[in-house]
Amino acid sequence: MKNFEKNSYKAGKKCCLSELGLNQKGKIISVFHPNFSLRMRLLDMGLTKNVIVTITKLSPFGNPMSIMFRNYELVMRKQDLKNIMVEVIK
Amino acid sequence: MNIALVGNQNCGKTTLFNALTGSNQKVGNWAGVTVEKKTGIIKGTSHTLIDLPGIYSLTPYTAEESISRNYIFNEKPDLILNLIDATCLERSLCLTTQLIQQNCNVIVVLNMCENLQKIGQTVDEKILSKDLNLPCIKINALSGKNLNELILLVNSYKKSQTEVNIFNNEIDALINKITESFTPKISKFCAIELLENYSKKTIIENNFQTDNNISSNRYNIKTMEKKFDFKRINLFNVFKNLHKKKDYKKNIEKNEELYTLPLFNYSAIEKDVIRLQNKYNLGMCHLIANLRYEFIEKILDKCVHKNNNINTKQSITEKLDKVFLNKFFAIPIFIGIMGLVYFLSVGIVGKYSSSIIDNGISAFSNLMETWLKGLNSSEILISMICNGIIAGVGAVLNFVPQLIILFLCITLLETTGYMSRISFMLDNFFYKIGLSGKSLIPFIVGSGCSVPAIMSTRTIENSNEKQTTVILTPFVPCSAKLPIISLFTAYFFTRSWLVTTFIYLFSIFLIITCAYVFRKFIFKSANNTLIFELPEYKKPSFKYVFKDVSQKTTSFIKRAGSTILICSIIVWFLVSFNWKFQYGVNIKDSILASIGNLFAWAFYPFLKTYSWGATVSALQGLIAKEQVVSSMTIIAGVSAENISGNLIFSQNGIFSFFTPVTALAFLVFNLFSAPCFSAIIAMKKELGSVKKTIFTVLFQIIIALILANLVTLFGTLITIAI
Repeated sequence: MKNFEKNSYKAGKKCCLSELGLNQKGKIISVFHPNFSLRMRLLDMGLTKNVIVTITKLSPFGNPMSIMFRNYELVMRKQDLKNIMVEVIK
Repeated sequence: MNIALVGNQNCGKTTLFNALTGSNQKVGNWAGVTVEKKTGIIKGTSHTLIDLPGIYSLTPYTAEESISRNYIFNEKPDLILNLIDATCLERSLCLTTQLIQQNCNVIVVLNMCENLQKIGQTVDEKILSKDLNLPCIKINALSGKNLNELILLVNSYKKSQTEVNIFNNEIDALINKITESFTPKISKFCAIELLENYSKKTIIENNFQTDNNISSNRYNIKTMEKKFDFKRINLFNVFKNLHKKKDYKKNIEKNEELYTLPLFNYSAIEKDVIRLQNKYNLGMCHLIANLRYEFIEKILDKCVHKNNNINTKQSITEKLDKVFLNKFFAIPIFIGIMGLVYFLSVGIVGKYSSSIIDNGISAFSNLMETWLKGLNSSEILISMICNGIIAGVGAVLNFVPQLIILFLCITLLETTGYMSRISFMLDNFFYKIGLSGKSLIPFIVGSGCSVPAIMSTRTIENSNEKQTTVILTPFVPCSAKLPIISLFTAYFFTRSWLVTTFIYLFSIFLIITCAYVFRKFIFKSANNTLIFELPEYKKPSFKYVFKDVSQKTTSFIKRAGSTILICSIIVWFLVSFNWKFQYGVNIKDSILASIGNLFAWAFYPFLKTYSWGATVSALQGLIAKEQVVSSMTIIAGVSAENISGNLIFSQNGIFSFFTPVTALAFLVFNLFSAPCFSAIIAMKKELGSVKKTIFTVLFQIIIALILANLVTLFGTLITIAI
């Protein structure tokens, strides 16, 4: 099974949220999901610019991921998280 | 007063609703969706309380959420109790600010503050109340703390005159410009929705004006590169999807049904919007979301006090998830828990309770017979009551203990929060075939009985996945079909265990294939993004579980009982009488036999003969699948105590025409055709409309016919080849 937990990006690097590894933190730069309703939903749930996001859990099969921000955890698939850009913090 | 209970999912709304209304509840249905509508009267008052589906924002994402939005907008409740889980205060306040902007009368109710203390934080509700200009109260819905104070607050509610400033003056001016251009004035929230949709409007315009215009796409990437200093290859993923205009347009059209915006001419505000977007370097919807959360963060800074020694959310949930979602242990633990559910319901309870109830019912039937004979009642009446009503309803009561155990297991899984973890683990495989990870529960439970399995699809949020699961659950061989399987395989096949295993594996294959076909051709434009919150593990409240299980069981018995009663009487009538309405005829002269003859042509292709006996037995399976065997027994003239293949399929008997191939075909037909009436009723409740239920039943019958014919076709070819 592919190792989904580690990620070789160093702090300061910009990448998609789906590329972060377990326990890594990122700061949201942009949320540009092509599905407008999903984008509004993500914004309403607090996934806004400059929010610090932590990857807390990965499904045993690698997908979906659980991200923690604003004191709660949200589960989403990697395909959708690909559209969110972050700057790696840790 | 009409009071509405509004809040996020999992914040304890149902618990509060039950606590406030006690037994003064009425459960109904919202039109158009299969969500329960719960209304009640608050204890000690004359206020009506309605429990609205959980929403994260007044802008709905699913059909269930649009129910809440439409109720708030159209029915305009006199008061809204905004229930908030104190551990998710930050996100929950988004909805609160929206309710304020919608001019609703709101009382903020903070639930589960004790959990907040466990992670070292406290909320000062007085400061929160002052900053929001709304009455705030802390309660605990489960333990009943402060509920009386809440009712007092409700009774003495007076709307405050001043409204809090959520956005800054620039945006407020723009919002006022929009609200004032309507007569009558629309609410601030509606104006904000119009602003948020400004981005959507321009995206649509840009994408459809430039038809395959690569340079315009390159332009977007270039500006993004400059703005954010990205490498082009990272952006490619982001914009790859924007180029799929067809899917994009369909997505937009599908979601526009959930809510409608008033017609508005954006040209009046275009200049202001562009100026603001350039000033903050953000799209309008992003800007509004940012401002909203800035306001929330400012408030929380003032009213939430953190204890410095606990930083992160290291709670029991974290520790439990390290085990339950562990890379190596998660799946084995899941298999263990599912095995336990199956073992308890089908294994222990299933076997013992069925025999106890069977004996009880036949004893009751004998009692009735003797009593009625003593009253000199007519033979017809005795037969109708004993063989028709008692036997038919008894077939349903037979699996009530199984039902109770299964409901119990499902409710426990749901309330502890493990159900979401199941969805989390299995989503990777299931979404590719158009099912949810939660669909596995109905399939596993369905191997015991389809009825609780179909009712457990209630937990599936996405309606397409839910409908697919409901339609395909009867394909799992339930325990009532086991007598049919054992009768046929034991007599016709030497290695009957091999055939049985093959049948179970085939049903799995059939479900996967049908689900995939549904996804590809029927639900092809469906929006099935996965986005849900992982709730904390919670200790289940036995009061709540007991109430939930008994409610589900009694509602099923009420619904099924009445329909099954009527159907049992009808079938009894068709079996006992002939066309001249003479009673006590041989079964081969009965009305049902002639109906059987009528449909025997449908069975001919795979049975290779016209057999009214086989048709009638299959038809009687509609009452309960066990009846197929008992019907065949009666038709073959064998007494009920001696059910054996030797007697039923004997050489001179009515079923001697069966060969191993046609026997397998008939078995396959019975396994995959329409389920028993109880299951059909459960399907109708979950699908929501009679039309869909009829489609489902026809679909299952057609699939069963196709499969049976394929079995005969390939079977005869194989036997010829051998």
